[in-house]
Amino acid sequence: MHNPVMSASGTFGYGEEYAGYVDLNRLGAVVVKGLSLKPRLGNPPPRIMETASGMLNSIGLQNIGVDAFIEEKLPFLRKYDTAVIANIYGETYDEFKKVAKKLSSAKGVHALEVNISCPNVKKGGVSFGTDPKIAARVTSTVKDETGLPVIVKLTPNVTDIAAIAQAVEKAGADIISLINTLTGMSVDLKTRRPHLKNITGGLSGPAIKPVALRMVWQVIQKVSVPVIGIGGIMTAEDALEFLILGAKAVQIGTANFVNPHATLNVIEGIKNYLIDNKIRDINDIIGTFQP
Amino acid sequence: MAANIYIGEILENEEIQEDCFLMKVKTAPSFQNPLPGQFVMIRIAGLNDPFLSRPISIYSFSRNENYCVIELLYRVAGSGTRIMAGLIEDSQVEINGPLGNGFDLLSVKENIVIIAGGIGIAPLSMLTENLRRTHPSSTMMVYKGFQSASTVVGLDKMRTLCRNISVCTDDGTLGEKGFVTQIFQKDIKQFPPERTSIYACGPGAMLKSLAKILNKSKFSAQVSLEERMACGVGACMGCAVAIKDKNGALAYRRVCADGPVFNLRDIISE
Repeated sequence: MHNPVMSASGTFGYGEEYAGYVDLNRLGAVVVKGLSLKPRLGNPPPRIMETASGMLNSIGLQNIGVDAFIEEKLPFLRKYDTAVIANIYGETYDEFKKVAKKLSSAKGVHALEVNISCPNVKKGGVSFGTDPKIAARVTSTVKDETGLPVIVKLTPNVTDIAAIAQAVEKAGADIISLINTLTGMSVDLKTRRPHLKNITGGLSGPAIKPVALRMVWQVIQKVSVPVIGIGGIMTAEDALEFLILGAKAVQIGTANFVNPHATLNVIEGIKNYLIDNKIRDINDIIGTFQP
Repeated sequence: MAANIYIGEILENEEIQEDCFLMKVKTAPSFQNPLPGQFVMIRIAGLNDPFLSRPISIYSFSRNENYCVIELLYRVAGSGTRIMAGLIEDSQVEINGPLGNGFDLLSVKENIVIIAGGIGIAPLSMLTENLRRTHPSSTMMVYKGFQSASTVVGLDKMRTLCRNISVCTDDGTLGEKGFVTQIFQKDIKQFPPERTSIYACGPGAMLKSLAKILNKSKFSAQVSLEERMACGVGACMGCAVAIKDKNGALAYRRVCADGPVFNLRDIISE
């Protein structure tokens, strides 16, 4: 990777949506929208709602399916000198297995990110991520199918995230990424109905950054595999907080919606921070947190 | 790719009717000429509240050698547009655009019917301007509906673009009393279905009623939809609309990237 800045799954489409705004070659990695075995319709609208310093979404993992991704989207991404990370989702262990297998033999995928943390689907999703035993089994299932590095993406909607992190590490996760969205809701005063058709959705944006930092800190103390920090990063300063805690990389999510140049701004901002503080190597800052 | 992010400077942001504003934004000449029906995502430069940009359709566009002027006609619908409405001259905004697919202008028939409800006039006004120029021999009929005389917007400009305008209001305070779709329905026999292009934009109830009227007919209608959006570029999948796909099955399409203009026949209303 050229740098530790990636796009977060579900916020950057399949890369091409932002290729007119961002030179994808400059990103550390593109993490694509969660892929399932079969195409998924997604949830009925309305699917999003703005909140204070953030937004709720209940997309429901609408995606074109793993086969169409490999055939139609991957060739475009292969043109770029950037790592492609395929985020994968299954309703069953078997689906995780099949999706992992297909992507592992596809040319141009550099790693898999296992989504056991989507709050907006009825089956699978977050339910795989809230029980350490199930989370571990999904991890080892994927691990058995692939030679690619396996990233496991955790949900914050648990009481003890470090326990889940330890369980997936033990099951073979090469990298852990966190956090996915926090479940939330919002009420329309005129109709007294939820703003989202799905009633609940996932909260993202700067509102969740303190929660993300806390959880990254908790996980980093308990695991030895690399951690990717995600949650509410809008600026280089936000990203540096995660890196100082010990995250080896960061993902930029909702910020892309607000500012399509967000990933590049973070990369530039980190560079400038290092120059201004006379730090030669980004690794000299990672994990330098003084509790 | 043509769309990009531009800094815009507000030349004017005037309340032309209660809660309806006309914003004129000056931006760089590299801003691509928008097609009728396209929109921009707009936000206050450097501010994160409101958090998301707002999708607003382009009402009018002009350029000279040194700059472009984008005109946005918008209604205050919530906290975001309320804050937008407070912007004064010389304020800076960030504009991402032009976005989305405009109206299909390749198969314009000899009869053009434009049906607008309320602020839905905005994209249709630009469309009318375009069609009048590109299809001078087609006959054009515009139906405009408002809640009441006190909510009329964009009518003066439309009168400069088209001579045949039928105005109606829900309460009868201006023009005929009734919904715009009812007024159109009274005239429907004047228009041969196969030789008529219908373009519409307005509230959900209006489009639903239009769909019902046209349901068993041979008319085809292009409608411009509105939905809450986060990204505006097709990435977030937030602005989904239910449509019938090629095989007649339910599918969700993105209003931003697959629309905002859709064939009325394909839309599945609840």
